[in-house]
Amino acid sequence: MYIKVKDLSKSFKLFKRQAGLKAAFKSFLNRDYQNFYALKNINLNINEGEIIGILGENGAGKTTLIKLMVGLLHPNKGTISIDGYNPWKRNYKLLSNISVVMGQKNQLWWDIPASESFLLNKHIYNLDSAFYKKTLNELVEYFNVKDKVDVQVRRLSLGERMKMEIIAALLHRPQIILLDEPTLGLDVISQAKIREFVNYYNKEHKTTFVITSHYTKDIQEMCKRVFVLHKGSSIYDGDFQSLIKNINPNKKLIFEFCDDPKDAFINSLRNTFKFNYNNRMLSATLPESNLQKLLSILLANHTANNISFEELPVDDTMRNFFQNPNKYIK
Amino acid sequence: MFKYFSILRINWIHSLEYRANVLIGLFAILSGLFIEYQIWSLIYESNNHSKIPMSGIDGGVNFNQLIVFIFLSIIVGQIKSSWVTSSQMIIEIRQGLINKYLIRPISYFWYHFMMFIGINSLYIIVYTLLLLLFILIFPGMIFHTLISVLGFIASLLLSIYLSYCIYFIMVCFSFWFGEVRSLVLAYNLAMLMISGQYIPIRLFPEKVLEIINWTPVPYLVDFPVSIATGIIPVSDWSHKFLYSFIWCIVLTVLSYLIYKKGIKQYEAYGQ
Repeated sequence: MYIKVKDLSKSFKLFKRQAGLKAAFKSFLNRDYQNFYALKNINLNINEGEIIGILGENGAGKTTLIKLMVGLLHPNKGTISIDGYNPWKRNYKLLSNISVVMGQKNQLWWDIPASESFLLNKHIYNLDSAFYKKTLNELVEYFNVKDKVDVQVRRLSLGERMKMEIIAALLHRPQIILLDEPTLGLDVISQAKIREFVNYYNKEHKTTFVITSHYTKDIQEMCKRVFVLHKGSSIYDGDFQSLIKNINPNKKLIFEFCDDPKDAFINSLRNTFKFNYNNRMLSATLPESNLQKLLSILLANHTANNISFEELPVDDTMRNFFQNPNKYIK
Repeated sequence: MFKYFSILRINWIHSLEYRANVLIGLFAILSGLFIEYQIWSLIYESNNHSKIPMSGIDGGVNFNQLIVFIFLSIIVGQIKSSWVTSSQMIIEIRQGLINKYLIRPISYFWYHFMMFIGINSLYIIVYTLLLLLFILIFPGMIFHTLISVLGFIASLLLSIYLSYCIYFIMVCFSFWFGEVRSLVLAYNLAMLMISGQYIPIRLFPEKVLEIINWTPVPYLVDFPVSIATGIIPVSDWSHKFLYSFIWCIVLTVLSYLIYKKGIKQYEAYGQ
């Protein structure tokens, strides 16, 4: 199933008021409404079996885009087509083939065991009993929550609840899954499990995933392609690694000398390259091509005790990017 | 269709998780009946035990007839009333929790109709026992024939559906106004008075009754109770059922149109 988004715009009507009782009375009588553009002229094509990450700061329009894609919101302008269906017409055939997980309090009934909500979904999606059992077992075993499915949802931990939400959302084996902040608030083990699961499920069932996350690691480990939103506009659509390289083409080289190099050698290098040198350790953060030149000079003149390359932290790179995206994207 | 029955099932399971809530709910109904009994016996005594004039009954009704009518009205009124479901729906729309229904192949209208039935049906066992008790205590005053039992059930089903449609329409206003629980509360209070739930509408002046008869209100409580007590002769049922059915169609169409308009401007906040 493919997703086609064309010239999509969405605005909301908001009213603002100052704090205080007087302002509350004033606002009760007369509200000053303003139009807020959450998305502006968005164009996006997602192919079948793709995992795409939607990136952006808070309020960039990521969740609005997800909500428009599943038909929760009606656009002011433009169209979305999922396999030829218009999502806001809520065609049951389309709804049986997609799934959305938004937050940890979604489909599950809070006061009763998750197994009851699973059974309800079995009937809602009209699933065959054998198919339901097979899918449920696969998911329960994958997430290792067999002993938790009969426990009241409100008594589960955040991570367990998230796993149950994902199970509930996947029981009907949707072809498109939209995950809005799937790892939010989870510990590192649960985060890793969910990332691992997305990759496994995509490979196993050729399912299309659309993921939004504030954790760069989520995107780095799950999504080859990213779609970046900034203040409601699309500013990048393409390979995530290329974006990172474009933002920060530098890598870090750490070269440990076997013996002490002469001062003259180090000084001569300083004329061409920028680096730190201390106690037989040279570290340089430079574009990859420059690093290679530096390394070949070092290896031609000295023996290394140890050489290592380090990628710069993606989090820092993305932070720099979001602080001033126009600087990096022409 | 089976999916909607599974909503009923999960609703019972959910309600039974909270035993205290169910028991208190049952106690509230019994205490309501007791209070009504006390009030009407005082009214009857102050009226020197003479018959009370009631529209549709020649010569008026005695105390037993009146109290049966009122008890039955309270029960029907309770079955068709909704505070839990409508409040929940309003909160869902306001807080964006409605999303979980919209992303699944299920109708929001029918989902909550089953929830509405589910919540009220838990009390139906007690209501049925009460009705059986009424038949024993007040023999010959209700359910004179088998057809009156069937007529009562059919009119009760129409009343439940009509009532749900009215609640659904009110709930839909939260798409525009956010919080409309005060509207539902005002409606519930008004219905206690004008639907006949606590005071039979047949005690109202003719002019007021004429106006009420142009609305769906008589079909909420008075119609099923009048069938059960035999006030409406079988020969008059057909046109009453027809009007009730027409109201069901009108309110269904209205619910659909208002919901369609509301959902278009829904902003899916919160989730």
